[in-house]
Amino acid sequence: MRKVYLDHSATTPVDPRVVEAMLPYLTEKFGNASSVHLFGQEARAAVDRARRQLASLIGARANEIVFTSGGTESNNLAIRGICDIAEARGRHLITSAIEHPSVRGTLDFLEKRGWNVTRLPVYDDGLVRFEDVRAAIRPDTVLISVMMANNEIGTIQPVAEIGALVRAERERGRRHLWFHTDAVQAAGRLPINVDALGCDLLSLSAHKIYAPKGTGALFIRRGVRLLPQQVGGHQERERRAGTESVANIVAFGTAAELARREMNKRNEHTQRLRDRFEGEVTKRIDEIRFNGNREQRLPHLSNISFRFIEGEGLLIHLDMQGVAVSTGSACSSGTLEPSPVIRALGRDEELGRGAIRFSFGKDNSAEDVDYVVEVLARAVESLRKLSPLSQRSMTLV
Amino acid sequence: MSYSEAFKDHLANPRNVGELPEANAVAEETNPVCGDRLRLSLCIRKGRIEAASFLAYGCPPTLACGSALAEIIEGMSIENAVKLTRREIVNALGGLSSRKQHAAALAIEVLRAAVENWRHSNTD
Repeated sequence: MRKVYLDHSATTPVDPRVVEAMLPYLTEKFGNASSVHLFGQEARAAVDRARRQLASLIGARANEIVFTSGGTESNNLAIRGICDIAEARGRHLITSAIEHPSVRGTLDFLEKRGWNVTRLPVYDDGLVRFEDVRAAIRPDTVLISVMMANNEIGTIQPVAEIGALVRAERERGRRHLWFHTDAVQAAGRLPINVDALGCDLLSLSAHKIYAPKGTGALFIRRGVRLLPQQVGGHQERERRAGTESVANIVAFGTAAELARREMNKRNEHTQRLRDRFEGEVTKRIDEIRFNGNREQRLPHLSNISFRFIEGEGLLIHLDMQGVAVSTGSACSSGTLEPSPVIRALGRDEELGRGAIRFSFGKDNSAEDVDYVVEVLARAVESLRKLSPLSQRSMTLV
Repeated sequence: MSYSEAFKDHLANPRNVGELPEANAVAEETNPVCGDRLRLSLCIRKGRIEAASFLAYGCPPTLACGSALAEIIEGMSIENAVKLTRREIVNALGGLSSRKQHAAALAIEVLRAAVENWRHSNTD
């Protein structure tokens, strides 16, 4: 059976060139980067090189990069780290209604501890409006956290405009307002320059850019102070304690460099596949709805709701044919947990439940697309035959 | 999320799909919490289920339970059908995690509702 992986927004396979670069740091170059001896120096040099490679991907200085265990930790460190410092200045936060669970959960946690959180709507196109951000700012607002690109529908948020707004506020003398953006999905897919974005903090993850899981990074602009959330060591300039995972960091650095060099090529390739896929799906399957603005979105991602059917059933049908995709909703213990992202678009429950994310990668081919379209069309037809909603609709017609 | 071979087979090749034109017992039940729906149509003659058909909307366990139910009850006496338990549906699917048991409960519910409707209409 053919296997087609279309879940690159969940994770990516590790690039063989990345594996090759990291392997020596699991074997002969195994030193602890904090050790003084030669083994340690070798590891330290590798970590520093990776730091420069990450910095280069986002137009930052190397000492503005802090390595973490992943995107979730980066988001936690950014938000809680700032809130712990800024508490005396104000307890209001602004975010969007479609953040990744690691941001959403962190803000929910802070809200339970007495913080006020404004969650900006995204309307039916999945985009935050700059005017809404401006209107939401209060005298006690200390942090705005809006993702650069969404993980389920791929919509690209007006992050540079928000950054400019925060800088303008700062120029007017407001010193205690910071801007964080979760760029985990955007990195390697959109050109990023932290100065052009005007952000103070930016989160990254290794396994979304063809490096292994377990490593992330947080850009912390020079001069921005935050309270470390993990203490008990001097690593990462006292901002994140714990022995560096040298091999993983080397992998992350290598992947960042490859992403920077190959970004255009990868984007052209995945966009061509995505557009071919969407064109064929539109021709072959009726009663579908694309989720999120189709212009302002990541080039590799397509999110589609299939009316009359439920996403998980479709996901398993595709899985049985070797096709890996994902759905944002989940049904557990008889309780439906629809995707908060699709719900925020104002879709009815049925469309929310039938949403599937297809995310393409650099190693997918046109043949993969054709195979998936075939399998998908059959699966949708088969599930619709089962569906009382679909049968009723046919009767009505 | 891992499902048994029996479960996947029901999902890939659902049994007795559709609506029986000659049905004399029909019911549709919805799980009010998650919105899953199961519709069952039965052809009951001489106290026995001669044919059973189902339609389902919802998560994979609901689809698979509908299929297993329709297969199990065909040929069964009404007396035995009303005694059918959630456990028997679950066993036919090679097991279901505790979080997915609600799908089997919905299957039993729709079966009992269909039989109840048949008794009320008394068309046997």
